[in-house]
Amino acid sequence: MNPIECQGLTKRYGSTLALDNLTLSLPAGEPIALIGPNGAGKTTLLSVLCGFIRPSNGEVSILGERPGSAGLTGRLSALPQDALLDPRLSVGRQLRFFARLQGMGAAGAKKEVERVLQLVDLSDSMHTKPADLSHGMRKRIAIAQALLGSPELVLLDEPTAGIDPPNAKMIRDLVREQSSRTTFIVSSHNLDELERLCGSVVYLEKGRLISAGPLSDDADDEYITLRMGAVNESEFINAANMLPGVSDVSKTTGGDFLIKTQDDMATSAALMQLLIDKNWRYRQLSRGKSLEERLYGDQT
Amino acid sequence: MRLFSTRRGLVALFGFLLIWVAVLYYGILPAAALLQDAAHSGILEFLFPRLGLQAWENWPAAELAVYWVVTLYLLPFFALIASADQTASDRSRGTLRYLVLRCSRIEIFLGRFLGQCIIMFLVVAATLATVLVVVAFYNPDKLAATVAKVPLIVLNLELVLAPYVALMALVSVLAKSARQATLYAFILWITVSLLVGYLQAKFGPLALLDWALPGSQISQLLRLTNWETLNFAAIPIVHTLIFLGIGAILMRQKDL
Repeated sequence: MNPIECQGLTKRYGSTLALDNLTLSLPAGEPIALIGPNGAGKTTLLSVLCGFIRPSNGEVSILGERPGSAGLTGRLSALPQDALLDPRLSVGRQLRFFARLQGMGAAGAKKEVERVLQLVDLSDSMHTKPADLSHGMRKRIAIAQALLGSPELVLLDEPTAGIDPPNAKMIRDLVREQSSRTTFIVSSHNLDELERLCGSVVYLEKGRLISAGPLSDDADDEYITLRMGAVNESEFINAANMLPGVSDVSKTTGGDFLIKTQDDMATSAALMQLLIDKNWRYRQLSRGKSLEERLYGDQT
Repeated sequence: MRLFSTRRGLVALFGFLLIWVAVLYYGILPAAALLQDAAHSGILEFLFPRLGLQAWENWPAAELAVYWVVTLYLLPFFALIASADQTASDRSRGTLRYLVLRCSRIEIFLGRFLGQCIIMFLVVAATLATVLVVVAFYNPDKLAATVAKVPLIVLNLELVLAPYVALMALVSVLAKSARQATLYAFILWITVSLLVGYLQAKFGPLALLDWALPGSQISQLLRLTNWETLNFAAIPIVHTLIFLGIGAILMRQKDL
């Protein structure tokens, strides 16, 4: 049984359907990306899984338990969107209290708080009140909170939203490091970030499940995505179209070139030679379509 | 714990301490002196039964008699204000979500209620201690009899305060802040009072409606000085259970 199973999950807010008959099964292992436009139902889905809100209809099983059940204490954790710690109490005190609620003794809780604060590189903030920390630091503290007791499953709702690149990188690195022992589900609008971090993707739109599956698939052999420096667009497309095995070259919504080929390895080698010959600088070359192109490429 | 470990909590405690010192110094002490001086004048025998205070002379010390009257009326208001923010601001801030990941909503709800009851117990104990000090200073021969009344007073005041704390636990589930919770409590109070008045005007005196509001037994308690006060214990217990029951249902159902 997968750690997350949803069957016919529906959530209504008055006449608004936030989740529409969602049936989903998510496996343990690599981080899973949860994506979709604003209002797609990502936060609602995570809130139902955490037991913050109750579904209108449908069944949910999380680590074999019902959301909100006592059996999930210490096994499931989350970074809820926009949730704040109590501004009046120090970070260390609140995290120790959370650890105690998870069943740790006083000494164990203290040690565990030191460990998670070290993970997010905020050991110095033990005695600081949340209001005295920057937005990025507060987010890292909230992630430290989610890692207390090394839970099996962690749900992160927009962990890097509104924070600066160094803090975002630190959070990504942390998720990557911890993903060998914890399954992460990460909701974000940053597709580049999710592409680098996650092994599979769940795409929601208007509360419905549009697709769910691995990020890499067999179609990766048929495409090359190339991000170029300054180059004459039509000249590049004409030249790339002449390469062996290439059947089509187009510009993506993200400004990259998408090259359709019958043999991605041979075409990649030829492409590199073309760039050398023409003295064109490239920024990034990757197999397959980007996540953005896969999700939204057909809509343009 | 927040009350004792945050600046705001300590300021609230200090504020209450100042008010209590004022009540003690300008209220209880002069009133106790008045009772003692006028005990044989006949004025009190005339006046107090009309105020429902005919039992004052059964208390071992006049200070305790005045304390009983003052706290029965004053502490419920303090309980309403002090326990207004049991879950409201934690919910609007999102802090409750961190807690719900680690314990059940009912545990949070009842835990906060019990915490507030403990605070009320400490408030009663502290204020009573000040009265004992006064009695020990002015009437040391009455101290032993006064101390013997401490369990009676503590238990009764805790019973009186419990439904107020439970009411605030309930409205705190519905409110977004302590201020809003207090407002809801007053709206609820006035609505029930008006409803009771209307029903009694329409259908005549109904004994059950006399006990509809928390604290409706206070006027009876003023007449009593012994364990017969517990004859009225069922009223606050029923109020408390009703408020906690409704609050627990709302707490379980409300989105966080």
